[in-house]
Amino acid sequence: MPRIENRIRRLRFDADEMTQKDLADRVGVTRQTILAIENGKYAPTLDLAFRIARTFGVPLDEVFTYHDS
Amino acid sequence: MSLGERETLSGLITTLIVSVLFLWRLSNQHAAGLFAGPDALQIWARSVLLLVAISIGVAIVVAIGFSIFHRLRTGEKGDDRRDERDRDIDRRALTLSWYLLSFGILGVIIDLVLGASAFRAMNLILALCGGSEFLKDAVKMILYRRAA
Repeated sequence: MPRIENRIRRLRFDADEMTQKDLADRVGVTRQTILAIENGKYAPTLDLAFRIARTFGVPLDEVFTYHDS
Repeated sequence: MSLGERETLSGLITTLIVSVLFLWRLSNQHAAGLFAGPDALQIWARSVLLLVAISIGVAIVVAIGFSIFHRLRTGEKGDDRRDERDRDIDRRALTLSWYLLSFGILGVIIDLVLGASAFRAMNLILALCGGSEFLKDAVKMILYRRAA
């Protein structure tokens, strides 16, 4: 089954321990949506995925990776 | 708790209150024999229209009350944003509730073909509307909580 994994928690930690709320405010979604993405319970749209990557200043594939398992 | 979750929870509470209200009012009228005459459907329709108006009032009161209760209980203002996940959850829940309503109405039509009265059909459709609304909010709540 294909699965999208992410490194958002790690990237937040590296960005001066940015909170989920801070990230949510920066990309314009709720904290619950960031929580759901981090836990792999929600796959964001491409638009949101790019906004998250841009917030951390990294390419998209450093935030999200696609696995066939 | 996000705005979407709060709205869903207050929607569930409203649906439960309104369902009890409808059931209580219509069963009382039925017991009083109001639906026995030839103008049963007109009396029923008047009652339902009145209950719909009351339901709108109940929905507003519950939404405001729940918002105040949530703020007092948690001390947080809450996030008043709706985002793409809310819209995704709305769409998935709405699809399921539409399936219930569509197949339910098909069932009612078959029931009519088999000889059920128009009065029974209207009551079944009313119950289906309530049921699909409840299903929509219940599914939304499950989807919201699954990620929490």
